[in-house]
Amino acid sequence: MSAPLKCALLALNSVGYQSLALGYLRAYAQADRRLAGKVGFQTLDLTVDMDPWWVAWRVLGLEPDVLAVSVTCWNARAVFDVCRIVGRVRPECVIVLGGPEVGPIAAETMTANPSVHAVVRGEGEAAFADLLHAFATGGKAWRVDGVTAIKGDEIVSAPDRALIADLDSIPSPYLTGTMPLIDGGSYLETYRGCPHRCAYCFEGKGYGRIRSFSDVRIAAEIEMLAAAPTIRSFSFIDPVFNLTADRIAMFAAVLAPLAEKGLRLHTVEVDIERIDDESAELLRVAGVASVETGPQTIGAAALEICHRPFHADRFARGIASLRRQGIQVECDLILGLPGDDVFDFLAGLRAVLSLDPGMIQSSTLRVLPGTELWERASEIGLSFDPEPPHEVIATSTATFRDLRRAEVMAVAYQNEYRARL
Amino acid sequence: MLTFVPVSLGEGRAVTCERCHGGSPTPVYRDSAQIAGDIETAVRSGAAAPGPNIELTGPEPFGHPELPAIVGMAVRSGVSRLRLHTDASAFVVPANAAGSVAAGVRHVRFSVFGGTPGVHDVLVACPGALAETLEGVRSYVAAAATQEALVHVSALVPVCRHNVRDLPAVVATATGAGAAAVLLRVEDGGLDLRAAIEWVTAACDTGTVNGVRVEVEGVPPCLMPDHVLHLADVVRARAGAKAPACAECALDCVCGGGPAGAAADTLAALRAPADAGALAGRMRVARGMAPS
Ligand code: SF4
Ligand code: SF4
Repeated sequence: MSAPLKCALLALNSVGYQSLALGYLRAYAQADRRLAGKVGFQTLDLTVDMDPWWVAWRVLGLEPDVLAVSVTCWNARAVFDVCRIVGRVRPECVIVLGGPEVGPIAAETMTANPSVHAVVRGEGEAAFADLLHAFATGGKAWRVDGVTAIKGDEIVSAPDRALIADLDSIPSPYLTGTMPLIDGGSYLETYRGCPHRCAYCFEGKGYGRIRSFSDVRIAAEIEMLAAAPTIRSFSFIDPVFNLTADRIAMFAAVLAPLAEKGLRLHTVEVDIERIDDESAELLRVAGVASVETGPQTIGAAALEICHRPFHADRFARGIASLRRQGIQVECDLILGLPGDDVFDFLAGLRAVLSLDPGMIQSSTLRVLPGTELWERASEIGLSFDPEPPHEVIATSTATFRDLRRAEVMAVAYQNEYRARL
Repeated sequence: MLTFVPVSLGEGRAVTCERCHGGSPTPVYRDSAQIAGDIETAVRSGAAAPGPNIELTGPEPFGHPELPAIVGMAVRSGVSRLRLHTDASAFVVPANAAGSVAAGVRHVRFSVFGGTPGVHDVLVACPGALAETLEGVRSYVAAAATQEALVHVSALVPVCRHNVRDLPAVVATATGAGAAAVLLRVEDGGLDLRAAIEWVTAACDTGTVNGVRVEVEGVPPCLMPDHVLHLADVVRARAGAKAPACAECALDCVCGGGPAGAAADTLAALRAPADAGALAGRMRVARGMAPS
């Protein structure tokens, strides 16, 4: 019997975080009986600020047969550097990429990065397990649904793969011990998909309808986190934490006893226009210390192009309700959205400042692969950097220079606002 | 965009250009009880949110014998942000820097006239003044870092005919010391604004490429149409000197005009820009005003 394949799973995270995506991939593959005894796993949860040469050093030290890397727009350049180095030093290592930065442009990514052998498109768990099975048994990677891979001199995309119908079939990385628990850096996911279709975002478009983990599974993960003596705070990566009134009530019931013991939730994303005094109180009871929300823009043209609602009065009411409960609100704004000029952006900044939410964070638009803005960029006059993280360079309503000036203004005002007693 | 209500510590200014003003008058400080009353009034005034924010202005604050008590009063009265307008030299003493941060001073605005001692020290008639100011700013920033306090440091550059050519260097110097924003305030009515524009806009660009916001007061949009985002008037109202032509200009409702006391021939040369109507509309949007 041949030796098991050595599979290294790599993520370059923000400092203090670990990759939930890798945790899912590994937990799912480890539970796949076909792979038992055929594949061994090592996870490298490193940080994006590491020199790619030293990341490659760590990877090569594992002597992997397969290197699988999770790629986002903000770590892609570093990941591609690592792949190039690893591919030169260890050409026999099969390099597989996945994630929102590469899935929608799989063939282009492989053409630009010849060291990459395959890209998993879309939801990765089942496709990656099948891919490993193909590697372990001499199968063809390019035949695996949801995978784009090399076939001879060609790059071939197998058909798309259906989304996993029952999310509970993905073992929990926490409950299986696949991922360690980190105070402040542990995230739970309770559903996939998003009810909204913001044109700059991949979430709603890429994952279609909403699929939920079961309440039993969610409660088990929460209880495990709460029981860990090192965990004082954690969060959820759900796009809209307050998706329904029932959900908030469910979370309040599960989390309230834990919150009384000091467990806190930080930076959960909320649809603030749906928050009133009652739901704000439930969030406090659930231990929510801070939330993140839009409006991203208040410019009418940009809101329309991006399919986002904004009602100033409901937005202000939501912030006021949360502040009354002592919950800090982070308002996010995006500079460079199509339809906005820099004056619209400044108006948005002024509007959120006047509500005194606690925290304001602005970022420059990134035109992400697979999003509606990526597809419509030339039609709507968006010029953006083709290299990740794909920041907008100019729009039909904002010049390159004015965007850079507005970036500087936004940082200055945010810092001026944050400096307070 | 934040509004700081000025509370005067007395008569005088933190720093002045000796050539423009012919020497600094001896500061006269107000009684701390009077200042406390002004602070209370400012806090209760409900000036635009977020706040309340106050700035202690007038003569050098560290010359006031009761500054610690005044800062304490301000903090107790409920201000969100307290700014000192100072020459920053007092922060050279580490205890002053650390004590200010600990007491609640989260904002410092320091005056600077030149990017080099050859300009700054000469204009304030004090050898070594620039070095002291910059060292003081660094000391304050370091004290804030030690205490893990978020602070905001800005530079105020009073612009006059004596330092206008040095503005890009002033911005670079202030930035290097730790300023996160620079305000160029044109105060000299005798300054030839048209000739000054190339230096003002170069200073703006110096700030942008260094990641520092440079804001300009006392220059109207018709004189720097490619740099209107740098005008203080884009984000806050300011009343300055206007010309007869302004009555016909669509920007009149949002334009701060030139410096107070601007020479008649300077003002007479102002003309409404071709796109005044469109620009006025956008500036109104940025200021949260209803479109005209
Ligand atoms: S930006 Fe947020 S609300 Fe909009 S589609 Fe993406 S996840 Fe959903
Ligand atoms: S002409 Fe217009 S832009 Fe120029 S100072 Fe007068 S109002 Fe302002």
